Amino acid sequence: MKIFDTTLTRLQEALDVRLVEHNVLAGNVANADTPAYRPRELDFSQAMAAARETVASAGMATTDARHLATGGAAIGAGSRATGAAESLVHQGAGTSPSIDGNQVDLDRTMAGLAENALQYGASARAAGKKLAILRYVASEGAG
Amino acid sequence: MSIESIGTLSGPAGGVAPEPRTREIARPGEGPGSFTEALGGALGKVDQIQLEADAQAEKVAMGGGNLHEMSLALEKADVSMRLAMKVRSKLIDAYQEIMRMSV
Amino acid sequence: MDFLTALRISGTGLGVARTRVNLATSNLANAETTRTPNGGPYQRLDPVIQAVPFPTELGEATGAGANPPLQAEVQAIVADQTPGRRVYSPGHPDADGDGFVVFPNVNPVHEVVNLMSASRSYEANATAIETLKTMAQRGLDIAR
Repeated sequence: MKIFDTTLTRLQEALDVRLVEHNVLAGNVANADTPAYRPRELDFSQAMAAARETVASAGMATTDARHLATGGAAIGAGSRATGAAESLVHQGAGTSPSIDGNQVDLDRTMAGLAENALQYGASARAAGKKLAILRYVASEGAG
Repeated sequence: MSIESIGTLSGPAGGVAPEPRTREIARPGEGPGSFTEALGGALGKVDQIQLEADAQAEKVAMGGGNLHEMSLALEKADVSMRLAMKVRSKLIDAYQEIMRMSV
Repeated sequence: MDFLTALRISGTGLGVARTRVNLATSNLANAETTRTPNGGPYQRLDPVIQAVPFPTELGEATGAGANPPLQAEVQAIVADQTPGRRVYSPGHPDADGDGFVVFPNVNPVHEVVNLMSASRSYEANATAIETLKTMAQRGLDIAR
């Protein structure tokens, strides 16, 4: 019986990947004036798929019949999802070449930052709400 | 004693034969319209609302979905769960009250 | 990668923008300076900006395979060696033998454009930090 369902896991993964995306975008903004800099990119759906796979396949292996079965997949899931997403960061083609070779489109990057933050907030809000419902039920209507 | 037997008494002897009415007397607590069914149905609906909220949250987590739909679904789930909990406490209180009654 | 990393990356972006602003204002202020401690007219200064991997305490670049997000850093400040314009002005104290004075190679229009660009960069990085703060707040709200 699982107390925390897969939806919560998806939301956790979403939060991790969104944070990685923010770092990528912030790096692009910080280097918006660096000559010959090509912006880094992260494909969100790809990263989510990789995170889901990494989280699902991890967990402690039981190699002996006497080992206790563990639901170990949840342990350390956050850093694994982050790692999976990080490894998918790649150099983008760049959209606004300029004389000094810098290819960061600042406006698009800022818009991406705003959208990413919004989605992060939405996932965080959903996770908080689900946990609040659980908390309410667990405390028999008192919390 | 069933009502049908009264009908047969008055029928051939004259007078208006009442229409024989059959009524299934259901065992208390089961059958259509019973309390158990109503409660079960209501809990099922609460469960559906929770699942719908889950589905919306997953959609948003994956990057698609609609933010206000998700918020509405989550809020409905919250409210319906609170109502269900309230019903549960009331049921428990009612049960305890009944058990307290001195026979 | 976490919140601290994002904060530091944006911080370096702010630093680079500020350096650019400082250099642009220095160039503008010295647009007519014909005499410097080094002798000769003022030479405009340019920053050399490069992107460097973000170091961890262990001294190695953080995760993210071959393409980690990079922080920006001003590697050096170089003087522009382009000779400035020469103006014939024999009465000027800094006039050379032929009566020409060499003025700095500063084009005020260029410097103002650099100033505006650096200002926009600074704002963009500041917005990135604000966005990060909002995200962090939302994340903490889960456990409110």
